[in-house]
Amino acid sequence: MKRTLSIVAAAALMSGIAMAKDVVVGVVLPLTGPIAAFGQTSKGGLDIAYEQNHKLKNGDNVKLVVLDDRGDKVEAATAVKRLLDKNHATVILGEVASGNSMAMAPIAEKAKTPMITHASTNPRVTKGKKYVTRACFIDPFQGAVMAKYALDNGMKNAVVVTDAKQDYSVGLSKAFKKAFTAGGGKILKTVLINSGDKDFNAQVSTIKAAHPDIIAFTGYYPEAALMVKQARAMGVNTPFIGADGVGFPELVKIGGKAAEGFMYTDHFNEAAATSPEAKAYVEAFHKKYNKPADSMGALAADAYGMILNAMNQCIDEGKAPTDKECVNDKLRHTKGYKGVTGVITINENGDAVKSAVINEVKNGKFAYKTTVNP
Amino acid sequence: MDFATFLQQLVNGASLGSMYALIAIGYTMVYGVLRLINFAHGDIMMVGAFLTYMATAAGLPFSLAVLIGILGSVIVGVLTDKIAYKPLRNAPKISLLITAIGISFFLENLFNVIFGGVPKAFSAPDYLTKVLHLGEIYLPVTVIIIPVVTVLILGGVLWVLYRTKYGMAIRALAFDIPTVKLMGVDADRIISIVFALGSALAAVGGVFYAVSYPSIDPLMGVIVGLKAFAAAVLGGIGSVTGAVIGGFILGFTEIFVVALFPELGGYKDAFAFFFLILVLLFRPTGIMGEDLERSRF
Repeated sequence: MKRTLSIVAAAALMSGIAMAKDVVVGVVLPLTGPIAAFGQTSKGGLDIAYEQNHKLKNGDNVKLVVLDDRGDKVEAATAVKRLLDKNHATVILGEVASGNSMAMAPIAEKAKTPMITHASTNPRVTKGKKYVTRACFIDPFQGAVMAKYALDNGMKNAVVVTDAKQDYSVGLSKAFKKAFTAGGGKILKTVLINSGDKDFNAQVSTIKAAHPDIIAFTGYYPEAALMVKQARAMGVNTPFIGADGVGFPELVKIGGKAAEGFMYTDHFNEAAATSPEAKAYVEAFHKKYNKPADSMGALAADAYGMILNAMNQCIDEGKAPTDKECVNDKLRHTKGYKGVTGVITINENGDAVKSAVINEVKNGKFAYKTTVNP
Repeated sequence: MDFATFLQQLVNGASLGSMYALIAIGYTMVYGVLRLINFAHGDIMMVGAFLTYMATAAGLPFSLAVLIGILGSVIVGVLTDKIAYKPLRNAPKISLLITAIGISFFLENLFNVIFGGVPKAFSAPDYLTKVLHLGEIYLPVTVIIIPVVTVLILGGVLWVLYRTKYGMAIRALAFDIPTVKLMGVDADRIISIVFALGSALAAVGGVFYAVSYPSIDPLMGVIVGLKAFAAAVLGGIGSVTGAVIGGFILGFTEIFVVALFPELGGYKDAFAFFFLILVLLFRPTGIMGEDLERSRF
């Protein structure tokens, strides 16, 4: 009896199709901590995409293991190690903040495990890496879009607010400054803040004395909300423009009336969603959460979709979906993937080439302004 | 920097400094009696802010909500003492310190589980968020209210300490707990009162912090708690007046680092703590602290 059992098991193993297996996708997100909203919304979109599809072509089940890193670099790195050692993840999905993704990337790289970040936009995340891919555009593009928009609207003198603790913000500021000065604009001052700070009165007073036409805020929403509030309270009515790090409901909830007119570049706005993939996602999102679909969730859904797409391609070639080399190769050569946030093609650096939207806070909502193509 | 901007920065410094001072008083009070650096103080502050937030969200008027916040924090503070600190009264001080850090993590994570980590918008009544215009200077009313509250509380705490029987007992405990017990004083009850008082102060600090910076999250007490602790050490830990002085020094340092060197603003915390080290090098017991073994309040 024992013998027959082991023969059956061996046969099943050899044929490789007899039993549906679990393929683990390890997810690292900041579900708590200062940038928790990013993690929470990413998870929301990921859940929708997972519910829509979690079966591979060969019948295998995709299993998500989600770990919280509290928005901390060290915890993010530890989480990746745990996903590899304990959960035997085939692919790592995450993080949101570029700094955290950069802490994770070397570990995935060393373990030759494909990693895809859905929302880290700093170029250094994928630079020189063979196993790191992303589902979003990068900051030089985003910074250029911000700069172009400001210049096109006649704003020639800018103050740049940089979050010194965030690689994302530092890189974005650099990109903005480069594009803004190249387009004939002038950077009056760079003001530094730290994420987690709450008092920006000193910075606001400095900005006020500089009399800019536009304040380019490259940090995240918790600081953006408090800073714009403190700026308006101090009589500074200069418009703010930010990037994908500020487009969160908390910007409006905390910023209140002060947040009105805050502009930012983003990956997705459901008002601009026209493809069938985007429509299906938006519909499922409304049904489940009863609120507008956000961009972090849409990006997470796309990153997840790209992983499934890559795994299915491997299956088509007769390889296992757990073949890390194959999955990585397919991820890095994603071409014309029709996602929620648009058509995604991965270039030779592992970065996604795709369009950006510009949104503005209007009557407490994120109104769609325009789409900018690469 | 022109004169108007300079004046505005002075106002900003006073605003931030009074915030630190208010929270530092609570730190120093508990330390003065128990020689315990209550690292959970910043988290009790968070509890106060969250309970007030919940009460206002439930539709209660702001003043009542604040009262609930204070009472709730007092209960949490006293419970913390009863459950976590009391069994360790005779244990080495380091065990108490580690327990305090544990309590701090516990409260942070408990609130994380209940409320999630996404910051909440704290709504305060208009009379607390108004901004006055004095020529070119913008003066949030909290800049006036917080120092007034700080002074009132300082006066109140000093009055309790020096004019009441409980205060006498508290001061006696700070010297020698076993002897005080021999005199027939219920030491545990007095320590509970100290924790109640400290937690009430933390809650008041938390509410004003949330009014000034209306974004609250379970980790809001971490950084400000650390700063208030630094302020208390700077002023001489154990000295209530020292805590206020330390708070203002820290606030002004932070604001003026940003004001004078905006491109170094990302390192303002480093400057603040560097300043702390500098003071401690020359005055190891802080500005108001005298001989550690002799000074009590």
